[in-house]
Amino acid sequence: MSRVAEHFRRGGAFVWLSATVLAFCLAMILGLVGFIAAKGMGYFWPSPLVQVQTPDGPVLGEITGREPARVEEPAKTQFRVGNRDIYGQDFRWILNAGLSAPEFPTDALLIERLEYGPFIGRIVSLSHNGQQVATGPTALAEAKGRLPETNRVRRRIQSIEKGQVGDLNQKIEKLRLSRRKLEGASDPSALQALDTKVAALQTAYDALQASLEQSRLEAKAWTLGLQTVDGQVRELPLGSVVRMVPANAMGRLDKLGVYLSRLWEFLADDPRESNTEGGIFPAIFGTVMMVLVMSILVVPLGVITALYLREYARQGWLVRAVRVAVNNLAGVPSIVFGVFGLGFFVYTLGGTIDQLFFADSLPTPTYGTGGILWASLTLALLTVPVVVVATEEALGAVPRSQREASLAMGATKWQTLWNIVIPSATPGILTGMILAIARGAGEVAPLMLTGVVKLAPSMPLDSTFPFFHFDRKFMHLGFHVYDVGFQSPNSEAAKPMVFMASFLLLMVVVILNLFALNLRRKLRERLGGSTF
Amino acid sequence: MPSLPANQSRAKRMDRFMAFTISGGGMLIIGAVLAMLLFIMKEAVPLFLPALARSVGTFKAPPSGGAWLDESCKTVVLASRTEGLRALRFPEGTPLAVPTEGPSLPWRTFTAPNPKGEFLVIGADGRLSLARLAWSKPPGENDPAQWTLTPNWQSGVSFETAPDAILHFRILEGGGLGGESTLRLVARTQEGFVWAESPLDATTTIAWKPLPRDPALHPTAAAWSADGRNLFVGTQEGRLLDLDPEAGTLLSSADFGEPIQSLGFALGQSSLLVGGTHGKLGAYQRVRVNEVFQLQAFHDFPRLNGPVLGFQPSQRDKRFLAWTPNEAVVDHLTTERRLFSSQLDGPGLATLAPRGDLILHANDATGALSLWSLDAPHPQVSFGLLWGKTHYEGYEKSEYVWQSTGGTDDFEPKFSLVPLVFGTLKGTLYAMLFAFPLAVLGALYTSQFASPRLRNAIKPTVEIMAALPSVVLGFLAGLVMAPLLERMAVEVLIYPIAVFLLAMLITPFWGRLPQTFRNAFGNGREVLWMFPVLLAGVWLASLAGPWIERVMMGGSYRTWLQSAMGITYDQRNSVVVGFAMGFAVIPIIFTISEDALSSVPKSLTSASLACGASPWQTAWRVVLPTASPGIFSATMVGLGRAIGETMIVLMATGNTPIMDWSPFNGMRTLAANIAVEIPEAPLHGTLYRVLFLAAFLLFIFTFILNTVAELVRQRLRRRYESI
Repeated sequence: MSRVAEHFRRGGAFVWLSATVLAFCLAMILGLVGFIAAKGMGYFWPSPLVQVQTPDGPVLGEITGREPARVEEPAKTQFRVGNRDIYGQDFRWILNAGLSAPEFPTDALLIERLEYGPFIGRIVSLSHNGQQVATGPTALAEAKGRLPETNRVRRRIQSIEKGQVGDLNQKIEKLRLSRRKLEGASDPSALQALDTKVAALQTAYDALQASLEQSRLEAKAWTLGLQTVDGQVRELPLGSVVRMVPANAMGRLDKLGVYLSRLWEFLADDPRESNTEGGIFPAIFGTVMMVLVMSILVVPLGVITALYLREYARQGWLVRAVRVAVNNLAGVPSIVFGVFGLGFFVYTLGGTIDQLFFADSLPTPTYGTGGILWASLTLALLTVPVVVVATEEALGAVPRSQREASLAMGATKWQTLWNIVIPSATPGILTGMILAIARGAGEVAPLMLTGVVKLAPSMPLDSTFPFFHFDRKFMHLGFHVYDVGFQSPNSEAAKPMVFMASFLLLMVVVILNLFALNLRRKLRERLGGSTF
Repeated sequence: MPSLPANQSRAKRMDRFMAFTISGGGMLIIGAVLAMLLFIMKEAVPLFLPALARSVGTFKAPPSGGAWLDESCKTVVLASRTEGLRALRFPEGTPLAVPTEGPSLPWRTFTAPNPKGEFLVIGADGRLSLARLAWSKPPGENDPAQWTLTPNWQSGVSFETAPDAILHFRILEGGGLGGESTLRLVARTQEGFVWAESPLDATTTIAWKPLPRDPALHPTAAAWSADGRNLFVGTQEGRLLDLDPEAGTLLSSADFGEPIQSLGFALGQSSLLVGGTHGKLGAYQRVRVNEVFQLQAFHDFPRLNGPVLGFQPSQRDKRFLAWTPNEAVVDHLTTERRLFSSQLDGPGLATLAPRGDLILHANDATGALSLWSLDAPHPQVSFGLLWGKTHYEGYEKSEYVWQSTGGTDDFEPKFSLVPLVFGTLKGTLYAMLFAFPLAVLGALYTSQFASPRLRNAIKPTVEIMAALPSVVLGFLAGLVMAPLLERMAVEVLIYPIAVFLLAMLITPFWGRLPQTFRNAFGNGREVLWMFPVLLAGVWLASLAGPWIERVMMGGSYRTWLQSAMGITYDQRNSVVVGFAMGFAVIPIIFTISEDALSSVPKSLTSASLACGASPWQTAWRVVLPTASPGIFSATMVGLGRAIGETMIVLMATGNTPIMDWSPFNGMRTLAANIAVEIPEAPLHGTLYRVLFLAAFLLFIFTFILNTVAELVRQRLRRRYESI
């Protein structure tokens, strides 16, 4: 007993207590990353379709959650039953009491389609222009064979809609603007020339619409006859089927195929159904573009500031104060930067640019509204302290002897900086840049004020002149997480997408940070020094 | 002196050029970054600027008993008993054409037009007419000379006895489709104050009905309530009465303190403005106190000079005009700010433009029309409103309220920053309660007890934790943690206790293990042993939680909270926020504390150990106190992060600006409030500027916290060097 008392008195127990606390912190972070990874990565794997008998009839779907009995609440199982167009909701909680043993029917099928979320049920028939072609299992095989072709047609329609139709619309809009300008000048011949141009464009537009209509009809020719587990019948054009997954009849290799194809769709496709399905390519692209523009802006800003502070400014209390102030900017809340970005960049700077250069299209703002340039500039301001601190640290770590040797041989200050100091400080500058990117990629609050949107109609980079459109709004992974998770009407169905987007964002940030930390550790080992 | 070779002089030129560029650029960037603060401040400052008023001119016009300014303030329509309507162009004063139809002249009596342009006239034939003034303008036409005045005369009932004056009227819009609109009037006749009601389109003859009245009181002014059911009457004796004329009863009354001269309403018709014969100015409202409607004085304004002759509200905000024979003022109802004040020379009629930016006074004696323009862009904000309790319309008492927008145009915006600051502090407090012990104890262990290998693994892991995007934390808190906590609040809350008990239970056994085993597997690696303990804690909590809930809380903790403690449980509450935000703050406190703790000079710890202190005693009594400034500085930086955190709070709380310390409901913080409201705030509007003020506060506050932290850290660093 005395040993126990001694243990407490000498504090051995408290060492254990602090170890517990630390273990809890570590468990939290590892658990969090692991949880998101498991949730995100696991979602694309085809899960079995389970059929059970409930007192209210049969239910077929994927099992997405279980709640064990607890105090007064009975045990429940959550089924993703799909068929939002028929049932009104994708998910259903069912009490375990009164549930029959689960079955795994091999003809059960999950169809991912363009609208209303997935269909879960069985294929009854396949028709072509109303004529039944096949029924039962053959219908499924036949439909699977036809799917690539209809998907190609759908892609073509989409690309025409997005590409050519968009181009034409843009040209017509441009002509309309120049026409508006000419109307004041009252030059009939120029107006007439413009009108003929518009007419030509309109004809091209009509022709395009006609061919689109043709393709749409083609896409609608093949239809599937479907039946849900409780006997309701639906027709579905094959053209709006994305993927058919008879999960219970698939081997591991087939499932892997579906997994990869879903993953690819997620990474490379546009979102559907107000961002709750499809891919998040525009969000990935927007994030990357924004971060790129930001780093192009932030690196010179930060490096010049650090060079000035460390090499050119006369060291004294003023420079020390400025250094503290710049460092402390890193602690200013990001929303404050967002407010500044909105007030200064968007309204003041953007508004002025609009009045000077884009007066024709006013009152529709061009730069006087959020856009990728303003968002990047705001984030560049936000991350400048990171680059300044890292660069200063690296500049300070360059040995004095090297500079003095260079100066002694008659090199000017700039020559010494350019040839001796900056090269050895490059890893430090790089570290700063990577940390800035990692910080910038994860910020959402300032972007919400300066140009991020839930669904951007066009990308900031495309094939129309001048290729990079600084004024366009963009999508962002972090905002995607916020928007789909919290603003979407069907957030339960969107949850896997949010997990996946979170996972992607997390990976980007964690990998960048690991990289930067590693670089910095190596640098410190080489040069010595400490943060404190 | 020999000239330098070409390449050397080029190098010199380059050197000078770069020195100039970098110095200039550096200073520019630093200046620009610091100018951020100035810009944010500049956007917020106009909130506190005084209103600007100036006289725009005076011109002659015949005396009149009523004036109406149109929305654009380009015309004024004057009404007089003998000449009917006349219109003048502003600000030149040239007459405009006016249609001649209308009640026969001279009018017996009429009311001054209200801001909508509605007024009543009793013509020479004794018939009542209602006019609704409007200008019909050709599309896009800005020249008043091209406009036509349409009075939209509508003739109505006649009275059995003609009144001396109509005091106030209200049109009650008919309910539903085809419902008949009715007109309620209150007038002064030989017999005293009377009232009447008639359908708007009736042309019969009607009789006046007497008001319920106490013979000791002598009415001097009367006005209908917004719904036309109640009649407010002011008396000679300084009583303000709330009557139900239909039932003939007195509902409530209040004491004004001096004889009442006139009554009026602010925008929204729910705040009754009362003016006394000696210049007293106050506002009353009918408000439900303890289930009973009462008349309540809720605003006082600075006293005027002379009897208050009338009121005119603005149609944009809660400002109103009041005037006496000696002065005219514009006050704001909510903030009680005096926006405008000007001397007058004699009784007359004053009116305020619908936008509240132009004041007109027609002097009865001289016929001079004087005009002032008033530029008061943000009258609804004052220092007292932002930081103090304010009595808002419809509220029983003064309160701190944030509610920036409402459903109707006559909504009274409520801009108290106190609930937001409170929410910020509450969120920060819960986050720090969670983060501070964890981070400091964790840092202490890492710096003092962990083996070097373990330490090299822990530090980068925690640094990664610092870099986790807050939107991901917010998402997990809002969509995973909050539902989990709602289902298993008891388990989650007893989990720390379970783990603590388990840890305390196993430690004595550890001491009994052989020294060699302890050295080989334990010391410096205790953390690894604790992971199974954490798991065991989960198991223990999941066993104990339901038991506690069943036995001690009667089956449901939510009902128990509600009945035993009177606390309602929100799904997204402060515990969730504290957890998620604490998660974001832990690595910050951890890293800085760990640096401070591990930089404590070796000589100190060696001395302590050599004197026989155990490692824990050394850590607790020597290392921790020495490094305490570092831990303080770490806490300051962590506080700064928690105060400004936006996404986590936005996603993990319901964002309701309530003031309640309960851990089971939410809050709205300054930062989240900016994110929620600024996208809808009109540029340079009051809300926009108030949000900039909030951003300015956040900036200053975090900047100060970080600067203090930095200074403390620098001092500590010097102290370490000197030891």
